[in-house]
Amino acid sequence: MPTAYPLPTNVSPATVANTASLLRIVAFGLISAAAIASRLFAVINFESIIHEFDPWFNYRATRVLAAKGFYEFWNWFDPTAWYPLGRVVGGTIYPGLMATSGVIYNFLHYFNLPVDIRNICVLLAPGFSALTAWATYMFTAELKDPSAGLLAAAFIGIVPGYISRSVAGSYDNEAIAIFLLMFTFYCWIKALKLGSAFFGTLAAVFYFYMVAAWGGYAFITNMIPVHALVLLLMGRFSGRLYVAYSSWFRFVGFQPVRTSEHMGALGVFGLLQIVAFASLVRSHVSSKQFQNLLAISVVTMGVLGAGAFVVMTYKGWIAPWTGRFYSLWDTGYAKKYIPIIASVSEHQPTAWPSFFMDLQMLIFLFPAGVVMCFRDLRDEHVFVIIYAVVASYFAGVMVRLMLTLTPVVCVSAAVAFSTLLDTYIDPTEPEATTTEAPTAAPTTTTTTATATPDSKKIKKAVAAAQAGNSASSIASSTFNDIVSATTRKGKSSKSKGIWGADARLAVLLNAIGMLAFFVFHCTWVTSNAYSSPSVVLASTNSDGSQHIIDDYREAYYWLRQNTPQDAVVMSWWDYGYQIAGMADRPTLVDNNTWNNTHIATVGKAMSSPEEIAYPILRKHDVDYVLIIFGGLLGYSGDDINKFLWMVRIAQGVWPDEIQEPNYFTPTGEYRVDDRASDAMKNSLMYKMSYYRFAELYGNQNAVDRVRNQAIPKVGPTLDYLDEAFTSENWIVRIYQVRKEDPLGRDLKSANAFEQGKKKKRSKPVSKRRVIVN
Amino acid sequence: MKLFAFLSFLALPLAFAASSDGKEKLTSLAASGNGVIKLNDEIFDLLTAPSRDWSASIQFTALDKRRRCAPCKEFEPSWNAVAKAWTTVPAAQRDHHFFATLDFDDAPGVFQKLNLASAPVVWVYGAARGPYQTGKTQPLKYDFSNGFEAGPLALHLSNHTPVPIPYKAPIDWARWMTVISGLLGFALTIRFIAPVLQSRWTWAIITICTSLTMTGGYMFTRIRGAPYTGADGSWIAGGYQNQFGQEVQVVALIYGTLAFSVVMLTMIVPYQSSPARQRLQIYLWSGVLMLVFSVLVTLFRVKNRGYPFRLLL
Amino acid sequence: MGTRYRSILANSWSLLTFLLVVFITFTSATSSKSASSTGDSVVVILDPAKKADYSIFLEELQAKGYTVTIRAPKDEKPLLIEDGVPNFSHVVFLASETKSFSKDINPQTLVELLSSGTNLVLTLGLKQNLLTSLAPEFSLLLPPPTTPLVSFFPERPEPPSVIPISVDTTSTPNDSFSVLSSDVGGSIWFSGTAFALSSNPLLFPILHAPAESFVGDLSDASGLVSDALADAAEKGGEGLWAGSSLAVVAGFQTLVGGGTGHGTDAGSGLEQQARVAWVGGASLFSDEFAKKQIVEKVHQERGMKVVGNASGNKQAALDITGWAFQERGVLRIDDVSHHKLNESGAVEMYTTNDEIVYTVHISSYNPSTRKWEPSSGLKDLQVDFTMLDPYVRTALLPVRGKPGAYSTTFRAPDQHGVFKFVINYKRKGFTHLHHTMTVPVVPPRHDGYPRFLSAAWPYYAGAISTSIGFLLFCTLYLAGEAKEEKKTKKE
Repeated sequence: MPTAYPLPTNVSPATVANTASLLRIVAFGLISAAAIASRLFAVINFESIIHEFDPWFNYRATRVLAAKGFYEFWNWFDPTAWYPLGRVVGGTIYPGLMATSGVIYNFLHYFNLPVDIRNICVLLAPGFSALTAWATYMFTAELKDPSAGLLAAAFIGIVPGYISRSVAGSYDNEAIAIFLLMFTFYCWIKALKLGSAFFGTLAAVFYFYMVAAWGGYAFITNMIPVHALVLLLMGRFSGRLYVAYSSWFRFVGFQPVRTSEHMGALGVFGLLQIVAFASLVRSHVSSKQFQNLLAISVVTMGVLGAGAFVVMTYKGWIAPWTGRFYSLWDTGYAKKYIPIIASVSEHQPTAWPSFFMDLQMLIFLFPAGVVMCFRDLRDEHVFVIIYAVVASYFAGVMVRLMLTLTPVVCVSAAVAFSTLLDTYIDPTEPEATTTEAPTAAPTTTTTTATATPDSKKIKKAVAAAQAGNSASSIASSTFNDIVSATTRKGKSSKSKGIWGADARLAVLLNAIGMLAFFVFHCTWVTSNAYSSPSVVLASTNSDGSQHIIDDYREAYYWLRQNTPQDAVVMSWWDYGYQIAGMADRPTLVDNNTWNNTHIATVGKAMSSPEEIAYPILRKHDVDYVLIIFGGLLGYSGDDINKFLWMVRIAQGVWPDEIQEPNYFTPTGEYRVDDRASDAMKNSLMYKMSYYRFAELYGNQNAVDRVRNQAIPKVGPTLDYLDEAFTSENWIVRIYQVRKEDPLGRDLKSANAFEQGKKKKRSKPVSKRRVIVN
Repeated sequence: MKLFAFLSFLALPLAFAASSDGKEKLTSLAASGNGVIKLNDEIFDLLTAPSRDWSASIQFTALDKRRRCAPCKEFEPSWNAVAKAWTTVPAAQRDHHFFATLDFDDAPGVFQKLNLASAPVVWVYGAARGPYQTGKTQPLKYDFSNGFEAGPLALHLSNHTPVPIPYKAPIDWARWMTVISGLLGFALTIRFIAPVLQSRWTWAIITICTSLTMTGGYMFTRIRGAPYTGADGSWIAGGYQNQFGQEVQVVALIYGTLAFSVVMLTMIVPYQSSPARQRLQIYLWSGVLMLVFSVLVTLFRVKNRGYPFRLLL
Repeated sequence: MGTRYRSILANSWSLLTFLLVVFITFTSATSSKSASSTGDSVVVILDPAKKADYSIFLEELQAKGYTVTIRAPKDEKPLLIEDGVPNFSHVVFLASETKSFSKDINPQTLVELLSSGTNLVLTLGLKQNLLTSLAPEFSLLLPPPTTPLVSFFPERPEPPSVIPISVDTTSTPNDSFSVLSSDVGGSIWFSGTAFALSSNPLLFPILHAPAESFVGDLSDASGLVSDALADAAEKGGEGLWAGSSLAVVAGFQTLVGGGTGHGTDAGSGLEQQARVAWVGGASLFSDEFAKKQIVEKVHQERGMKVVGNASGNKQAALDITGWAFQERGVLRIDDVSHHKLNESGAVEMYTTNDEIVYTVHISSYNPSTRKWEPSSGLKDLQVDFTMLDPYVRTALLPVRGKPGAYSTTFRAPDQHGVFKFVINYKRKGFTHLHHTMTVPVVPPRHDGYPRFLSAAWPYYAGAISTSIGFLLFCTLYLAGEAKEEKKTKKE
């Protein structure tokens, strides 16, 4: 038979297999290395430091765990958070992350490797990214073949959509969650294929781990039942499905079944029992009756279940959906009723550029891959298809859920890409009439690891070749699928393959070029966009050299060193975790936004005039107020830009006292210059931000570089607060709350007295004359 | 002295009379206006009289064509609905709160007096005297931040009315009918369209379309209510975190084309019978792939200025 | 000639007293400490020319062990505050008639002295000076300048602006400390202005004006008093300063520890507490009034008899300064402790619904022995257990057998959070007692809950059914395997 290029004929299949596996291992090692290395940009550009906001809490919690052990951690009540309410940490968090690093820490120390807990936390995410690559490899291998698996692993190793949450130092739940997600799914698929209770149980175990690690576990809780349900509806019920699902669910059964997130799982389980029973019946009654029976039972079950569910929700026996869950479906819900959720930047909807930024070429390989899943529609492919639809919707609604989309995109893109490569590397050339199938046609191992020869692929080739003459021959499922696919496309059984080397070369070069471009893209995005630990900012000087802006840590360390241990610091909730982590001072509110009223109180204090804010500050024992101000540097993520959210949240609780429209100019603009509204000018936030800002500019007029507006010469005055600290670039400003006046006057008049102004008599007096006799 | 006493003696009943018959007038107006009092200058002054023992919610609007106030027209129905709901309250409480509408063209003077620059605006005047007296003399402004719907409006105004406004969202019969008829139609035609539904490629097309629209940023435009095109007719929005409705279509189309070419290369082309046509198609689709991809990159460079890479163009 | 001679004599006499003062100053500096609880050094701001008029008062102060320094209003030295540190622990301001002072004597300085714990005795004059502008800060309402307090009763040879005020007209409420001791027999001669007190909880009257007195102008003799009173009455008394609600002596206790008692406000703040005595006229301290007889008509069987008693001025001056210098009515929190019931030793956090025992030790200063002695005399002491709002507010009762100890036992609320023990004892004339101490109240530990909850039955049921289901599943599964094999065999 003709081949596109000459093949060595004297290689034994064993050798081929060995070389293949060796190459696979080498390739995988390289992929892991790349995955870890590409996440170290942050450490190289800056230093080994915890990033962002939430990681600071995880880091702090991990230190407690490592220091005091798990039981103390479980009972940990943090009196310095949410002062004076305090926060019950142990019971209210997902301990999976901390537990993981705690275990690693103890493990290393058991072998006398004195590794600092911080470095473990910093490097946890890259480490797990390698594991994720492995899980993805296994998953995709189940889906198509190991070569596709390697491609998928490579993709997920360096794709920005995943790197964005797992660079070194971003020590957050997502870091390990994605690995757990993929591995759980792998176990589920495996269990489904083999019908093995072992893998089902394994899936359940990792599902548990996931539950302990990330709030997103509800995704799995619903993905697997949906998959099972769809399989049922496709009439693909089998003992394997029954075994896999039951063995998974019997552990999930421990979960509190009263929350709606778990209802689906329960319902499907019930349905599955029915169907199983029905299939048992099947062996006795005839198929026709069985069909009706099955149909009826399924329908009735569905109706009953739905009805029961509605009733229970209506009666309030089962917990209603959580707010975040609502905000996923009713997209207008959050902005209306829970502004705190809506105010978080990563809960914003996703515009298409961020899709392309995070996934680049995968984003259009992804539909192609889905199509191929449809071609040979095995159970696991159905899973991928469902996953694709659901995840792409979620990713569109919330930026942060891009994370759940990324794996499936990588998988299906890998499927598409490797199919492409297979097709064009496969050396066999079709003929008008094939005489007989060639025996094992070994192919050379080309440079790319993805082209490693592989028995399965050869079989496919064989099958393809045989497709011509023998329609009724024992054939693998793949073969059937291809035939069915092709016949559906109206093509009668034709021989499959590519003629000539130039065509192959064209496509392959094209493909390799795309891969190279992808690598360049990922490197650029990772190093530029996703590697800055928002605690330390970097700017490039005019001569191109990098200039580090370290105001946050400067200010936090000032607090740590110059204030009493129990001095309460009030700030907007974004900075709560950082203050607790770096300055080690009690805070009023922080990033787990569990108490809306408390946050609204802070919002009210920030958006009210001094004399209204002062009693609030005193009541909450506030000693220092910390704000972020970017006006001098042009740092746009500052509090004045977040101010409207503070107003909105405060308005939610005190609609009569705080009203958003008052903070706009009559023409509806959001201004901070001399045209700003009175409510704006008198608000504590405005005063603290622009206090003595104009003085900095001397004679020429002061300009806020974020809002690009000129600040009035005569700046605001503060009577109830003293400026305590302002960082180098004015990004962080800290104010000290003054004590009551010793003479019991209000501080405004006390200040007036200090400046020597006379207090006018509070009572008009007239002179009287009397006679002395 | 005596004169003064006499005057005061005269004045007191007059004042009461004024307020009371003013109230009757307002009540009748409200009844005639289906719960809403149509205001002009003097009725406005009467309604917001300093000696009022009733509270009032007033909608300042500009419904005239020439004003071209789209939000006014959008808000009008929900206002009337809430006002109508208020008429069902027993007279005892009802006559302590009035709903009124003041159109700009009826009383521009009032707009100037209150220096209102925009419409629609809703102000609530609390009662100055009487059982439902409120300390505040200044009217409260209703915040449109959660939309023009009647539900939130009624909820908010209920804080200022003697009794909560018994507003119920009307049942959307039309929707129900469509849903039911749709279900029926489906049930009837099931046996005809069953083969279509059972074909995997139907589902494939559905799936692909969904994921394409989603990855094209459809949800963004939906949630943010982004316009189809820019005000200046530009179809592509500046800025990395922003986009227009039209971009969804363009981007989805591009993704679709690219995906399609890949699918062609992998699933159709190999089944070609003649080498020539196959070769032609291969080059064709590779070219399409290359070209459209570089178009996509160029488009992305427009959105994200800092992006350093480029392909053919 | 005569006048000149007299002036020379006066000068030499004043010089002499000055030397005497200086001498006594040295001696008393070496002698034991004063009766005050806060310090011995007193600076008296006084025109040297007037020194002779207050010799009795000054000597009495020195007899009490104070080191008295006289400073003329115009002198640059000694400064009241040097580098933010007060040089004296008490300031007596007798230069009531002086108009101009050296620049470091100004209202701001005086307030600064107060906030750094220096006690003041301030005497107002008829003329306007810095005190006139300072008084409103203490929420005193002064009549217009050059209008003394006048009264025509009782009938007496003295001019109407020199008034005998009988001490028992002063009424001090029960919960406040009576500044004028019972040693102040009879009446006090007073001449000067009176003032009204606006409602400031820190301010309280020590000596009220007589009911029939009022503030009027004596500068010239035109017009009629009846008119004055009449047209005031026509205006409903508006603008007329009269009656016993006016005070001629008032006390003011500065606010400290009013803060959170926490973070930057930590510290008991006792040492910073300062007292101010406002006196309507410096003459109350003068030798003239101290020596002056008070003539009263006493009823007897055979008509009236005129008796003359010594005035109470000397004692009153000592009482007023004694209170102002924190000799009397001075309290202190020695120690605060809390622990669980039936346990000893402090705990750093409580669990909800714990029984908490809270104990505080309070002692008061005894000027005679000049020692702090435990005092169990407080009737209405109470403690709050508060988080944002007080959850518990209960009385602290004296512990029998433990002098100075007050204690109570209460149950922690069923609410976790960071709570504060707050003692806030502010009584007029007494030192303010303010003390806060934070302690977290935490929910029970994971094993601190009851084992079996009836509410949790669904979960127990779920668990049990699941395990049973597992067993069933296994058996069924195995059975199913067998059947499948059979089936395959059949086919």
